[in-house]
Amino acid sequence: MQLKRVVITGLGAITPLGNSVGELICAIESGKSAVEYIPEWEDTIGLRCKVGAYVRMENEKLIPRQSRRSMGRLSIFAVQAAEQAIKDANIRPEQLTGGRLGCVIGSTMGSAESLAEAFEIMSADKDLSKLPSTKFFQCVSHTAAMNVAQYLGITGYVLATSAACASALQAIGAGFDAIRLGKQDIMLCGGAEGLHPTVVGSFDVLYATSSNYNKEPKKTPRPFDAKRDGLVCGEGSGILVLEDLELARKRGAKIYAEIIGYNSCGNGSHVSESNHQAIVFCIEEALKSAGVNPKDVDYINAHATATIQGDKEEAFAIRQIFQDGVPVSSLKGYLGHTLGASGAIELIASLIMMQKSRIYPTLNLEEPDKDCQGIDHVMKLQDKKINILLKNCFAFGGINAALVCKKEVV
Amino acid sequence: MTEQDIIKMVNEVFADSFEIEKGKLKPEANIFNDLGLDSLDIVDLVVALQKKFGITIRSDERVRNIRTLGDIYQFILIIKKEIGK
Repeated sequence: MQLKRVVITGLGAITPLGNSVGELICAIESGKSAVEYIPEWEDTIGLRCKVGAYVRMENEKLIPRQSRRSMGRLSIFAVQAAEQAIKDANIRPEQLTGGRLGCVIGSTMGSAESLAEAFEIMSADKDLSKLPSTKFFQCVSHTAAMNVAQYLGITGYVLATSAACASALQAIGAGFDAIRLGKQDIMLCGGAEGLHPTVVGSFDVLYATSSNYNKEPKKTPRPFDAKRDGLVCGEGSGILVLEDLELARKRGAKIYAEIIGYNSCGNGSHVSESNHQAIVFCIEEALKSAGVNPKDVDYINAHATATIQGDKEEAFAIRQIFQDGVPVSSLKGYLGHTLGASGAIELIASLIMMQKSRIYPTLNLEEPDKDCQGIDHVMKLQDKKINILLKNCFAFGGINAALVCKKEVV
Repeated sequence: MTEQDIIKMVNEVFADSFEIEKGKLKPEANIFNDLGLDSLDIVDLVVALQKKFGITIRSDERVRNIRTLGDIYQFILIIKKEIGK
């Protein structure tokens, strides 16, 4: 069976650095960090990390109430990002409802804020009659995919990946497969996440968050840096339009890049400690599926969240495969870790880097840690033609994902 | 609590929970056809009315007969009177 070729034809993003792809890129180019001290988090007993990267939500009331009522923060972000992406790709309304267009949108879980509200309502006096009808729809794991599909009238595939910080990249991988296999023509793919103290808490109890920079929020997270002390949570959504190359060409669509390789795997060893052997395997399989050698890769957008262990393992794996031959940067210093949305938001920024032949440096990386040396860290803005890029995502649960994109679509 | 108090409080529920313009809140307004509520909204209407008036109506069969805003005003009035007895 001849597999179809898949290209990316539309981008949309709601991020802590702005609510459009343009605003996101403008902020990154000016070296801006979205990380702020969050005074309200002082109220959560035991929470060490007091910094985060919230989205400034806007225009949510443009979504009609009966659509909005089933949406928590992450679904609102996903809907707004999806609207941007379909506009960017010039998708027609009849394509949305024609059954050949689907969506795969991942998140760690349903809306954390809505889950907390549901627990507060239920645990106060165990009274089910106080629970609003739509709380369930905000809390379910497929809330973002479901809400985007309902809002846009999508009648094709509707899927939700749930693999924590690898959710978005897995969603893009699933959409890639659906089109490659000829099951769908167009897929809206990406991820979404809503920030809440309980989300930060899940990392904080494991001492994986940054806690030494609460008074200097712009200095953290510090991917690969000797003074890194953990991740900083963010939120948002990134949605990409994936499309059958033939269809995209036929309708004259703008093409950002072709997806040429993808892999996802488990590490089979530990739920929270990433492991370089499994990362190496994941990346090598992705490169193999793309039919490219390590030396062909022009840029690696690292997962690098600024945890001590995770950055070390990723740097080890990159060093083993690429040595210091390929520029590497992480965008977490600008955005924090947008978790289930990160794979999509950071891929979008990487595609813009590809378009502009420019690599954005790792913000807050001043002195690469000895455990993270031996790879080509991008520490200042670098002009470079990028034909092939690799995007990494690694998640709690020992789940890895890697995606390979190529600019020149021959 | 007077009938006017009840009308004001029910209208607040419709404005706050269902984002309906106050100008549309007339006793004869059909809550489905004129105000656009659906089956999920009815669940939320019951939750909101229970909270607003401190009453329990979730299992009250009379809720099924409600069609207009005026029906709600009268229903709450009757419930309040029943509680008063």
